[in-house]
Amino acid sequence: MASDKDLDSPDRRDFLGKVTTAVGAVGVAGACYPFVSSMNPSKDVKAKSTSVVDLASIPKGKTHTIEWQGKPVFVTHRSDETIADMQDASTELDPQTDADRIQKPEWLVVVGLCTHLGCVPNRTDDGWICPCHGSLYDNSGRVVRGPAPNNLIVPHYEFVDEKTIIVGKKV
Amino acid sequence: MRRLLVLLSAAAMFAGAQSVMAGAGGALKMVDIDNSEQARQRGAEIVVSTCMMCHSLKYIKFSDLSQIGMTEEQIKYLLEDQDIDDRMMSLTPIEVRKESYGKVPPDLSLMAIARKKGPQHIYTLLTDYYYKDAEQEETDNHLFPGIKMPDALAYADAESDEERAEIEAQSRDVASFLVWAADPSAESRRTIGAYVIVYLIILTTLLYFLKRRVWGKIH
Amino acid sequence: MIKKVFSWVDERFPLDEMIKHELTEYPVPRNLNYMWSFGFLAMFVLIVQLVSGIFLAMHYKADVGMAFDSIQHIMRDVNYGWLIRYLHSTGASAFFAVIFIHIGRTLYYGSYRRPRELLWWTGLVLLLLLMATAFMGYLLPWGQMSFWGAQVITALFGVTPFIGEDVVVWLRGDFVVGDATLTRFFALHYLFPFIICVAVAIHLVALHWVKSSNPSGITLHAKDNIPFHPYFTIKDLFGLGVFLIIFFGFVFFSPEFWIMPENNVPADPMVTPPHIVPEWYFLPFYAILRSIPDPLGGVVAMAMSILIFLAMPWLDRSNVPGGAKFRPGYRIMIYVWFLDLMLLGYLGAQAPEGIYILLGRIATFIYFGLFLLLPFISRREERRSREQGLPREAERLIREEQEELLKSEHYLRRENDQQELKDIRKRLEDKS
Repeated sequence: MASDKDLDSPDRRDFLGKVTTAVGAVGVAGACYPFVSSMNPSKDVKAKSTSVVDLASIPKGKTHTIEWQGKPVFVTHRSDETIADMQDASTELDPQTDADRIQKPEWLVVVGLCTHLGCVPNRTDDGWICPCHGSLYDNSGRVVRGPAPNNLIVPHYEFVDEKTIIVGKKV
Repeated sequence: MRRLLVLLSAAAMFAGAQSVMAGAGGALKMVDIDNSEQARQRGAEIVVSTCMMCHSLKYIKFSDLSQIGMTEEQIKYLLEDQDIDDRMMSLTPIEVRKESYGKVPPDLSLMAIARKKGPQHIYTLLTDYYYKDAEQEETDNHLFPGIKMPDALAYADAESDEERAEIEAQSRDVASFLVWAADPSAESRRTIGAYVIVYLIILTTLLYFLKRRVWGKIH
Repeated sequence: MIKKVFSWVDERFPLDEMIKHELTEYPVPRNLNYMWSFGFLAMFVLIVQLVSGIFLAMHYKADVGMAFDSIQHIMRDVNYGWLIRYLHSTGASAFFAVIFIHIGRTLYYGSYRRPRELLWWTGLVLLLLLMATAFMGYLLPWGQMSFWGAQVITALFGVTPFIGEDVVVWLRGDFVVGDATLTRFFALHYLFPFIICVAVAIHLVALHWVKSSNPSGITLHAKDNIPFHPYFTIKDLFGLGVFLIIFFGFVFFSPEFWIMPENNVPADPMVTPPHIVPEWYFLPFYAILRSIPDPLGGVVAMAMSILIFLAMPWLDRSNVPGGAKFRPGYRIMIYVWFLDLMLLGYLGAQAPEGIYILLGRIATFIYFGLFLLLPFISRREERRSREQGLPREAERLIREEQEELLKSEHYLRRENDQQELKDIRKRLEDKS
């Protein structure tokens, strides 16, 4: 059997070759990282990952549509009547209580895209109706009639103070 | 020998290309640039309060100043009407600036790399103003004679060595800030670069010994 | 498991055979030095440019109002955008450095001589494609140098007799370099590298037919060939390691060395920079262009300075085989030529005034003079070699080369074909 002291021994040959290959492979993998990373959102896009909403400009009973990450978001200043109605009501398609969908009862914040195929629903007195296939949503953004399968999505948002919320999370 | 010639020919071509980029009028003051965050922050303050009367820095947002260690409060302190997410644009209308100086004063974002020895040009420019006449009515600049830009840091007005030293320190800070502004990724680039070169030296050494071993069999 | 996959493929595709024949068992002269690694390095840099270029194109905007800004967007906002940009700008210079050394090797060692003429010519086509690609790419950042360099060089085409002005306007798509020019240069700059890839494939096919030359310039005995793997795979990889240290040294620590400061100023069609200088790799040709007072003459001279290389196999009239190793006259010529190229490069960066004008003309004269002298020098050298005899080593190599040729595939195939032709004719005659 060849001893380890022999320069040409199989053990020693494999070791140098294997180490070099491993070190090289690490470099190749590392070299890929910047290219893959460059395809992720750039700094200016990441800056738009949150949107600030001034609630003082929304009168009671009205809905404003703001832009967040390129998508429409409905911010509704709900009247006491509406709040009471929503707290009593329940839906069957995607059961969820009103309380689970709001932080403060007079403010509803939902992504304004129909959960069916993504059209923007139109505002009605009782909620929203989607012009594409007729899905109906109530004043809590819950789906009342399909073909939409789910309630309007509630995005992550935070109250900075009484009059301002930030929608979304900083990336 | 031939390899040496090839390398020399390359060097000659670069030397040729470099020598074209000389300074403008007077001599350049070859100061060193302070790379510290403090120098850059002081420079940022001067640029925002003084230079931005006429110049913009369209590629820098105020919020980017956090990269040189300024807190949100410190940045907001510099703002007038602007938002922290705004780009650093001059508040003076373009028409007013064009009328006063004949053309829109150039953007400063890349000024530090728009010439060879850019930072030294900036420093020299700011500290080369002098009064053309005894009555002290009109200033001119040694580096760029006939320049339309006024003596922004009032160097020609300085009467004592201390005053001049203060303005020279300010000019150095402005140059520091503009060096950062032209290439914000420079520091992380050099840090990553150190790791890459060390890695390559290790890998190349391994490859060398592997090559020697493979070829040793037939020599 | 892997073996099973390979044997499934093998029944349907000559993958294994191709890898063996063209790569792992491919015969290479054992005495190749590191000058032979530069072809591989060129291929590597091509891949670097392709990959970095495509990722830059994901963020670049080819519009005069947005181009400069999009470069700053890449440098400041895109994750690692600065790295990808510097890879591409440094890579362009690295490409030319590698290619010039590669061509220098070919000239010095006589690797353009029979039977490698087509290898030489496909290589020249590659050089021209590379120059066109680099020229168009340089416009894209839309800096002052980008704009004015393109303005000057497209204006050169105006020397075309009769239709000159129309050609220039047609090239630019506008009366001056503008949005139309920028957009088409972007489209073509994206396209050309793929044409280069095809041309490289053809170049390699030519290479594999005649096999590599070697430092002696004389074909070695078959017994002096060694398989490409593992000898030259590891040697090329080591060479690559050394190259990468230099290359990344520039990318990470001195990328601005290769970017002219003027190009950090957005293009201004109303203001020309005081010194318009092309990138360093175009400087010698720029010097030749300027040294001829007549515009048409200058453009012709510049074109000829590259095209004249096509004639090398004919200009070199010596029947003494090999490269500069056994040809002292030719060697001196090559050294003078390299020095002259250095001088031309330096002059190309100077303002065309004073003594530089005279020097430029002298250097251009020497440049073309050497080419035109080559037939005489080579013939004289051959005569002297015949009289004095070649060095013993050269004679031995030539003898072995002759033996080798007699056994070579091409020779045998040709002999075989000729024999077959004779047989067919005989059969036809017998029938009639």
